[in-house]
Order: sequence, then C-alpha cells, then structure tokens
Amino acid sequence: MKTTIERLIREGLVDAFWAYRSFRDCHFPWLFTQEDLHHLEPWRQTDVRFPIVKLLLASARENPEKTYGILVRGCEERGIEELFKWNQLKRERVVILGQACSKSLAAKCECRKPFPDRLQYGEAVAPVMESKKLRELEQMTMESLHEWWLAHLNRCIRCFGCRDVCPVCFCIECSLEHTDLIPGTILPPDASFHLLRAIHMGGRCIDCGLCEEICPAHIPLRSLHKKVNGLVRETFGYTPGDGNKSPFTLLGDVSELPSLSRRT
Amino acid sequence: MKHWRDGCPDNAHPLYREKRCTLKATPFEPRILAFLCNWCSYAGADLAGVSRLQYPHNIRVIRVMCSGSVSPHHLLRAFRKGADGVLVAGCHIGDCHYLKGNYMTLKRVRFMEEMLRFAGFDPARLRLEWISAAEGIRFAEVVREFTATVKGLGPMPSFDAVPRAFAMG
Ligand code: FES
Repeated sequence: MKTTIERLIREGLVDAFWAYRSFRDCHFPWLFTQEDLHHLEPWRQTDVRFPIVKLLLASARENPEKTYGILVRGCEERGIEELFKWNQLKRERVVILGQACSKSLAAKCECRKPFPDRLQYGEAVAPVMESKKLRELEQMTMESLHEWWLAHLNRCIRCFGCRDVCPVCFCIECSLEHTDLIPGTILPPDASFHLLRAIHMGGRCIDCGLCEEICPAHIPLRSLHKKVNGLVRETFGYTPGDGNKSPFTLLGDVSELPSLSRRT
Repeated sequence: MKHWRDGCPDNAHPLYREKRCTLKATPFEPRILAFLCNWCSYAGADLAGVSRLQYPHNIRVIRVMCSGSVSPHHLLRAFRKGADGVLVAGCHIGDCHYLKGNYMTLKRVRFMEEMLRFAGFDPARLRLEWISAAEGIRFAEVVREFTATVKGLGPMPSFDAVPRAFAMG
C-alpha cells in the first residue's frame, strides 16, 4: 500500500489519498498528501470501519477540480459506484484501490460481497448470501412485527447519526428535517422517521451497516435496510453499486415496471 | 393541533386512543384519504358524482396534478394522522399527462406496500388504482370495495413508538 500510494502521489496521478494511519495502534482515516508521505504504513487487515466514502465526498465537494485516491472495502466501492451514478462524484476524479474484508467481518455483516472488484490487498473471502436476522423477522406475524419495531424505534433520539454516517446520503437538504413532513416536536420520533429513511434508501443502500454501527440506541437498522435491498433486488433486479444502470435514476420503460397486483 | 379523526389529541397514548375507540358505541367507520390525479381519476370521480352513483362517504379526496407527485412522505403522513386507508389513483399506464409520472407512482407504491408489511402494517391499507376520466362506475366500485376492506381491517395501528415493557405486555 505504502509504495503504490506514494507512487500515485509522486507521479501526480492523484492530488491526495484517503487511506488509514495508526495512532497508538488505532486505525484512523487520513488524507495523505505530498507533505505527509512519510506517515504511510504498509497495509494490514483490520475490522474497524469508517465512513471514508463520506469523507471523500466532502473533500471532493470542497475541491471539485482535484483528483482523489481512496482505499476501499467492498461496500465502500459500491457506495462510490452509486455516487458516480447519481452524479455526485466524477469517475475521472477518483482513483480506487481495494482491500478485502476478513472472514469474521464478512460473517458479522452478513455481507453479500465482502471484497471490491478492484482488489489489490488481501484475499477475497466467501460471501454470506442469507441474513439470519432478516429471516427471523420475516417469519414473525404482522402484530408482533409491529410491536417489535415500535419497541426498538422507541429508543431513537433523533440524532441523525444514521443519516450523517451514510455514504450514499448525499442530499444537501434532507426531508427528514422537514418538520411538516416528519413530526418535529416529539421524541422519540414515530415510526415514519425510520420508515421514510428506509424508503429513501431504496436503490441506494449498499449495505455497509454503518448506520446500525453508529446508532447510540442500537436500533436494528441494518435489518430494515437489508429488507429494502431485498425488495429492490426482487422487484427491479438491481443491486445498488453494481455496474448496471440504476432503475431509480431514470423513469425507465414499461417493461421494467412491477406488476399492478399486490403480492400476497 | 387537533386530530382530524374524532378530535383525539395528536399524540395521545395508544392505550388511551384505543379506549376511546372501544368505548364508542357506533360501529367503526374508516377514514380514507384519496389522492386523485387531476387529469384522469379526479375527472372519473367527478363523473361518478355527476352520474349520481352511490359510494361510501368515508372517502376524503385530495386532488393532485399527477399521481407521480404523491411522495411516500404524504402517504405516511396520512397514516400517521389517522387515515385508516389511503387510495392513490392515476391515469392508466401510458395515459399519464406527464408521460411517465405514473411509472414513478407504481414503483413507489409497490415499494411502500412491502415496507409497510415489514413494519407490521397491513399493506392492504394502501391501494393503487388506475381510473380514467370515463370510468365513473369503476371509481364508485373501487371506493366501495376499498372501504369494505379497510372496515374489515379495523383502525390503523399506532405509529407512536412505545416503551418496550408496554409493547411486550
Ligand atoms: S397525470 Fe394522471 S397519473 Fe400522471
């Protein structure tokens, strides 16, 4: 990692590079530039994750004419791909290096693709195609599901952490803050808050799970979003972050529409 | 702010709201909110009225320019504010006056239904129909049918988050 990044920056292929640096044994995202190349470290596999795509998006918005490099995991690569599709990042302004996730992390995330396409570091491990948690939830009756969700959502403190950490939440103005649309004066917010966020994530959520990881109230948001992703896969045959055109960025064709009759 | 449904205070405790409902002697009358698109369905509803067709009075109509302009925000807000059912009606596919507006409606409503189901609400409370300006009879029929369905489902469960102990008990 050290030599590749150093070469990229030295040769001027990128202006700066988002990678990681250790502080007292803690892994931390860091923007490497010409000046601090001596801080670069050899690559090592860790299970700690950061919203590094969000950091990239912020710096790219600040300096749109600069080229950035970034070290990504599988989910983060999907996030960047999705941002390309939604015109938030320019393809020619991002250089991607990929790292694989460990087996334990893939199992913990129940990740469907724990490695990026552009894999430079580490070994790709086997994907986990089924989510146990989601299966459990889907087998519950309507009433108990309703109670289950409301009991969990009851802990929400409306910190917007899930939105702020999400790599594909790129809107400048957020409808979740709109007090006419979402009840703005009660705490905890009612179920519509998280339901709406889940709906907005349709076709965008890349299943990185940062929202659940950051949630101070431990709301099982990931199951909600895994469900969203499953629906998108079923109805539109689309996996966010893959190479295909997103059915959500265009109106599409009659042939791509779901059927009018509801599945029961 | 007053609730538009039987004057319940806006964030009354779910128990309290339930009590009020059960104490009432009158049978449950669902409140149904309908979003009708200006160019087809609203005209269809108009035709139903002009032709003096009978349909239940449980429906409240909001006219929108295109069914594609109804966002999930509006649908959820309607449910939250006490609607027991929401009907979205627009032009038939291919007839939308904004060409592909109803494509969006279709994708959106399908998606919404599944999400409602996953959150434990009955997706049958949300209904999408294509009703053209000439289909007054069909409009009356849809309203009749939908009202019966929602009546069978009972009042909309609460959206308010509840303490765990209460939820489990
Ligand atoms: S104008 Fe009727 S659905 Fe778009």
